[in-house]
Amino acid sequence: MAITTDPHDQGRVVEAVTGHHETREQRHFKERIAVWLFIGGDAIFLLMELFYWFYLRALNTDGMWRGAACSKANPCTDGLGNPITQEIAKANPWYTVSIAVLVVIAAALVWGVERSAQRQLKRSVISGSAAIGLVVLIAAIVVQCYQFGVLPFTTIDGAYASTFQFFMGSTLAHLLLLGFIVAGLWTRARRGRYDDGLWYQVRIIRIFSVWLAVSTCVLAIVMIAFS
Amino acid sequence: MTTDLARPLLLEDTPLGPTAGGFYRRQNAYTGLATGVLFAFVGWLISHALLQGSNWGTDMVVTVTMVGWVVGFNLGVGTFNAPLRWMLGHDQTYEDELYAAGVGQGKKRYYKFCTDHKVVGTQYLVLVVILFFIGGTLAMMMRTQLITPHTDFLSANSYNAIVSIHGMCMIIATIIMVTGPFTNFVMPIMIGAKDMAFPRLNAMSFWVVVSAIPPLLATFVLGGVDAGWTTYAPLSVQAPPAMDAFSITMIVFVISVTVSGVNTIVTVLTMRAKGMTLGRLPIFVWASIVGAALSIYAMPALLIAFTSMITDRVVGTSFFVAGQGGTGWLWENAFWIFGHPEVYIILIPPVGAMLEVASTFARKPLFGYKVTIAGFVAISALSIMVWAHHMFTTGWAPELAGPFMVTTEIISIPTGIIFLCLIGTLWKGRIWTRLPMYFVYLFLWNFIIGGVTGIYLSDTPADEFFHGDMFVTAHFHYTLLGGAMIAATAALCYWFPKITGKMLNERIGKTAFWMIAIGIQITYFGMFWEGFEGMPRRVAFYDPIFQHANDMATGGAYLLMLGWIVLLYAGIESLRHGPNAPANPWHSKTLEWKVPTPVPLVNFLVDPVVTSDPYGYGEPEPVGPVVIPAPHPDRELVPNLSSDNPLAKDDG
Repeated sequence: MAITTDPHDQGRVVEAVTGHHETREQRHFKERIAVWLFIGGDAIFLLMELFYWFYLRALNTDGMWRGAACSKANPCTDGLGNPITQEIAKANPWYTVSIAVLVVIAAALVWGVERSAQRQLKRSVISGSAAIGLVVLIAAIVVQCYQFGVLPFTTIDGAYASTFQFFMGSTLAHLLLLGFIVAGLWTRARRGRYDDGLWYQVRIIRIFSVWLAVSTCVLAIVMIAFS
Repeated sequence: MTTDLARPLLLEDTPLGPTAGGFYRRQNAYTGLATGVLFAFVGWLISHALLQGSNWGTDMVVTVTMVGWVVGFNLGVGTFNAPLRWMLGHDQTYEDELYAAGVGQGKKRYYKFCTDHKVVGTQYLVLVVILFFIGGTLAMMMRTQLITPHTDFLSANSYNAIVSIHGMCMIIATIIMVTGPFTNFVMPIMIGAKDMAFPRLNAMSFWVVVSAIPPLLATFVLGGVDAGWTTYAPLSVQAPPAMDAFSITMIVFVISVTVSGVNTIVTVLTMRAKGMTLGRLPIFVWASIVGAALSIYAMPALLIAFTSMITDRVVGTSFFVAGQGGTGWLWENAFWIFGHPEVYIILIPPVGAMLEVASTFARKPLFGYKVTIAGFVAISALSIMVWAHHMFTTGWAPELAGPFMVTTEIISIPTGIIFLCLIGTLWKGRIWTRLPMYFVYLFLWNFIIGGVTGIYLSDTPADEFFHGDMFVTAHFHYTLLGGAMIAATAALCYWFPKITGKMLNERIGKTAFWMIAIGIQITYFGMFWEGFEGMPRRVAFYDPIFQHANDMATGGAYLLMLGWIVLLYAGIESLRHGPNAPANPWHSKTLEWKVPTPVPLVNFLVDPVVTSDPYGYGEPEPVGPVVIPAPHPDRELVPNLSSDNPLAKDDG
């Protein structure tokens, strides 16, 4: 049985009694590999999302990726005068851009928390950065939820509409996960868990948040540039 | 406190304070069950009130209810305790950790969220047996239906639902049948570790998969999944609400397997004992990490497939609905991008375990150790490039049929090399033919048949003929049951003494072996016969010309099921009345046999130092991984947890 509590987390020097504890470096090494493996899995998920997007877009089953554009040559009716699927409007790109920017800012703030903890700055500085990061993430979550309400299409409006909203849902799920983690970062920073040079755990969170910023940006680019 | 000087004080003897464990003290499988049912009920109540009238009301209600069950069960059992406490800044104390590891709880720890890898391994073993029992019962219901061409035992819909759940139940069971029990119980000891790298994630992976099983079984009362285990769209999009529960099962299962895979890899990379270099890892450990790596690659594809399936059914997206711009080919691609690596996620760990058995009982080093590892890696790499061979007849990208045929046929090369390494290990060995070896021989026979018939199916023209008939069913049962499950059974017989502390009753075990061995041949040769005659899969009623072949398959299946029941009886009888197992009954060289039985909580009373490879049979002792006492007496001694010790206080 490996005892995973870090004796340093207890704020006391107890290693002499608890020889079972792993050192901080050992824990960090394990956690860093683990987070990279999880990111690897998440990267596969991202690739699958891109596969969905580009495959459905290229296949364009019955012209229903975004529907047919109406014009004089294509009056949105078939030869019998029945309506055919009309081209749906694209989503407003500014929401998507805003979310990506907010996630990048949140990742930068988490990076700032790591640097602050590394330099053993005051507890208020560390927790303050984490708090601002959390607020930014909450803002991103709110914008993402709001975007669902203002989309010019619904889920049943073809493959573009479906995939676009799937990406939004995926981003929201990731933001909620990161929000939970950054909330923990803030709480723990307030309680002094990262004082005394205990910045390793923050690095793990930073690695994940940077990955999330990258993946959110990739999705945003695809959603805007390849509609 | 009195001290028994004849025996070192072990960590499990540590007296814990009344607050140790915190919330874990009040939690177990029953509280999980209660909160799961409560959350499911609340989810049903709310969703029924708010969503039932909407377009996809019933599907939404089923989905919310199932999600409620999964969240509630895991809250109740303790899965989320540590993350929530972490988030609130209250780390678990040392005493909490000891409690979570099962200290002082006796057999109760098997019903709790326990972080001891041996407990998790045992819990997995029981779960796998239960899943096989369920899947086997469903198989027998199918074979009973097929006794005559027009039996009225099951309706066509019920038959189809049973086909689907039998398939996925067995897939879940076979994916975890080795990585669950043996990778958890044995692998950390094999590498000289005290536990898995992340004990709480380890326990989480188990309880999460437990929470996935009730939704799977609930499908029978929700209309049944009549789309087959591959749940091809658009059939699955139109299926009854059972499909929602089925999708939740798969999503939750993906979470469990991914977490477990990450844990396995990190454990091997970071927790090895001194001297346990990568070149000295037992082959089973290599098989475990290759299987884990492959699962990290493959599971996200399954996750997105079932997530998008749920959105198609619950909120009306159109990924798989051609009438709304989607395509069924998307499902097939996503499913098989997972589906073919999944075959090797199932196969590689048992084969690794079986190679341990072969080396031990042949009293020879493993033949071609590095070649075998290269074979595992090559199979894994190739397995991600073969998925479309499942789609030869679907019309998707016919120009890719050639390349996919070639990659599929190439994969038989590393597979064959591993097979040769197994034969090379046995070749001219002084084989000690005990029960585990019986199953090794059976694997050799079965896997040859499963492998050779697979080559026919990888060939596009032949697949055009065989696709969708019973030949395919016979092929993959020879591979997965005759190959992987039999290899896993060899591993079970081999490690049974270490896990249970009892010797397996070999007389009953051999009786079971012969019933299983003969049962497999009769059942699946019968299915090959059906396939050659052109009988399609997944049909509840058939033309009388297939009667004789079905008689053969059904008779064999009854014998096979009886064989498994006898083997289960052998296990239970041995647990109750069997002789105690010595620490190393097989005189094996790997580290798990160097520790006492039952294995102490911290596994090693002294830190092991490994000085040679694990297969030094035939060389004078001491060879192999030897355990040299290291000066860390406080490792196994009771830590001072008196009131003046800072560790005795919860600072949370």
